[in-house]
Amino acid sequence: MPPASQRVDLAAVRALAPPLLAVLLAFGVTGILIVAAGKNPLLAYWSLAHGAFGSWDRIAVGLNRATPYALTGVGIALCFRARVINIGGEGQLALGGLAATWVALHMVPAPRPIATLCALGGGVLAGAAWAGLAAGIRLKRGVHEVLATLLLNFVGLLIVSEVLQGDLGEPGSGFPQSPLLPAASWLGRLVRGTDLHVGVLIALAAVAVGHVALWRTPFGFRLRILGASAPAAAYAGISPARALMSVMLLSGGLAGLAGAIEVLGVHYRLIDGFAHGFGFNAVAIALLGGLNPLAVLPAGLFFGFLETGAVAMQRAVGVPTPLVAVIQGLTMVFVLSAMGLTAGRRRV
Amino acid sequence: MTEFLAATIRIATPLVFTALGGILSERAGVFAVGLEGMMLAGAFAGVITAFLSGSMLAGVAASVLGGAAMAALAAVATTRFRAEQMVTGLAVNILAVGLTSFLLRGLLGHGEAPTIRVSPLAAMPVPGLASLPVLGPVLFSQPVLTYVALAAAVAIYVFLVRTRPGLTLRAVGENPAAAFAGGADPLRVRMLAVTCGGALAGVGGAVLSLQQVGTFTDAMTNGRGYLALAAIIVGRWMPFGTLLACLLFGAADALQLRVQGLRLPVSSYVIQMTPYVVSLAMLAGFGRTAQLPAAIGTAFARDRPSS
Repeated sequence: MPPASQRVDLAAVRALAPPLLAVLLAFGVTGILIVAAGKNPLLAYWSLAHGAFGSWDRIAVGLNRATPYALTGVGIALCFRARVINIGGEGQLALGGLAATWVALHMVPAPRPIATLCALGGGVLAGAAWAGLAAGIRLKRGVHEVLATLLLNFVGLLIVSEVLQGDLGEPGSGFPQSPLLPAASWLGRLVRGTDLHVGVLIALAAVAVGHVALWRTPFGFRLRILGASAPAAAYAGISPARALMSVMLLSGGLAGLAGAIEVLGVHYRLIDGFAHGFGFNAVAIALLGGLNPLAVLPAGLFFGFLETGAVAMQRAVGVPTPLVAVIQGLTMVFVLSAMGLTAGRRRV
Repeated sequence: MTEFLAATIRIATPLVFTALGGILSERAGVFAVGLEGMMLAGAFAGVITAFLSGSMLAGVAASVLGGAAMAALAAVATTRFRAEQMVTGLAVNILAVGLTSFLLRGLLGHGEAPTIRVSPLAAMPVPGLASLPVLGPVLFSQPVLTYVALAAAVAIYVFLVRTRPGLTLRAVGENPAAAFAGGADPLRVRMLAVTCGGALAGVGGAVLSLQQVGTFTDAMTNGRGYLALAAIIVGRWMPFGTLLACLLFGAADALQLRVQGLRLPVSSYVIQMTPYVVSLAMLAGFGRTAQLPAAIGTAFARDRPSS
């Protein structure tokens, strides 16, 4: 029997290998597409990396971009642990941003931390409510949560468009967006001179809390048992309905928080379509992180930097940005396949 | 009124193809969340091929291949590699949006989105029948793919209920271990079912790009694949029930166009919500009694028949 330290290393390798291989494979396949488009893939990837990490400013933008991904991804990872397939992140995030905007514009003037906290709180509540609605439809009417969350995404995004056309819209701006929010509600900058905002720390905290909640609390234990074996959970007296509702509320709240941070820390206003892609990509991130809150962090960073780098790649070598979605989609398929092959061998 | 009914059928046509494809997949035990991506791939392949070759027939054939190719990827992942079916479907959808938008710019447009234009398939009145009152303009003055959609519903029904391969497909969806014991190869059946389903969804996409708008825009399916998915559940996994559900969604959409013309004091966004709210309401109404194929969502492994 090998010494203990070596065994731990082997376990770590086994956990890390599938996502890393999936990412490499996705880059490889995508490279073929770049060649087909008549460009040099190595040059394209280099300019992508340069665009992502080329300066402190770029790194700050990438970190900001990864923040909503990490927050939403942690919630989705907890859901998936309990086999609750919440793919409603998009709508929950959008409504979180909407609620934060509404609170920031309508609350009585308050000093900075209080105004910001109230707006963030509004985002959490709205996201949780939207997820709770889907969970309620699931529990009361038996509509699978995949369809309930999915259809509510469309409704949620349309609510944002509707509100921006009406009450919350900026008159005469010509764009579907809200007026600039009062500065007291903005998230502070973390590093002067860059765009890096305090939301990054909130995401880090959420990752840590998610990790502890999943592995060190009775709540997390219930989620894991439910995911591993429904009969075992029933035998242990765990109520699937209560677990489903609570994990959905938690995950919706995190998505709503992500939306609020996006509004209060990046745009300083609500812009139509600001949530686009966040919710679905967060599912990919949760999977890429092996449904482990701690590993969701690097996965979120990967997606964040991928997206900020892609803009530079398009400018520098003319490779269109939708390539990023190809990399994301392929990574997801490969990770899912690897997870499927090794299913049943994972730690509960 | 006849105009409204004709619009209902027109709008329902892409949903019908796509939902029929989804039935094949789900009846074989594989969730069809990837319909949206297969549809988009079909819409893209169809209109690009028609644009480049000048032949609508080649376009439709390419849409079959495009949808099938996207589906084949999902099929291999969910059967051979036992990947989680719903999230794989989601991945296919993300991939399809990226791939079509990238190919449009990278291969055809030298970095920018090029202008793609084909003249959409025109209405093809059926001689004689088209002059019937009401029924004529509603049913028999439609473009060609709409007739094919109705025929496909009949064909899928006959296939599923009256043929041996159809029975095998359903058996695999209900109890793959038993089907395996009976001599079928569940993995092969599922791969075929998902791929053929993707081909149908591809034609659904072609209806959008070749019959309705004559061009391709990024993510142009815009959630229709998900509506088709809801239609399957409302239609209880049977072709004619699903056809009816698609017509109902089509009617909700057609009504939306109507209401928009009336300048009511409701904004267009609220009206755009109707198809989604209607399908949620219908699922909530039917959901509890819905009988899913028993083995849907579960992976089948020869050495581990219990999983």
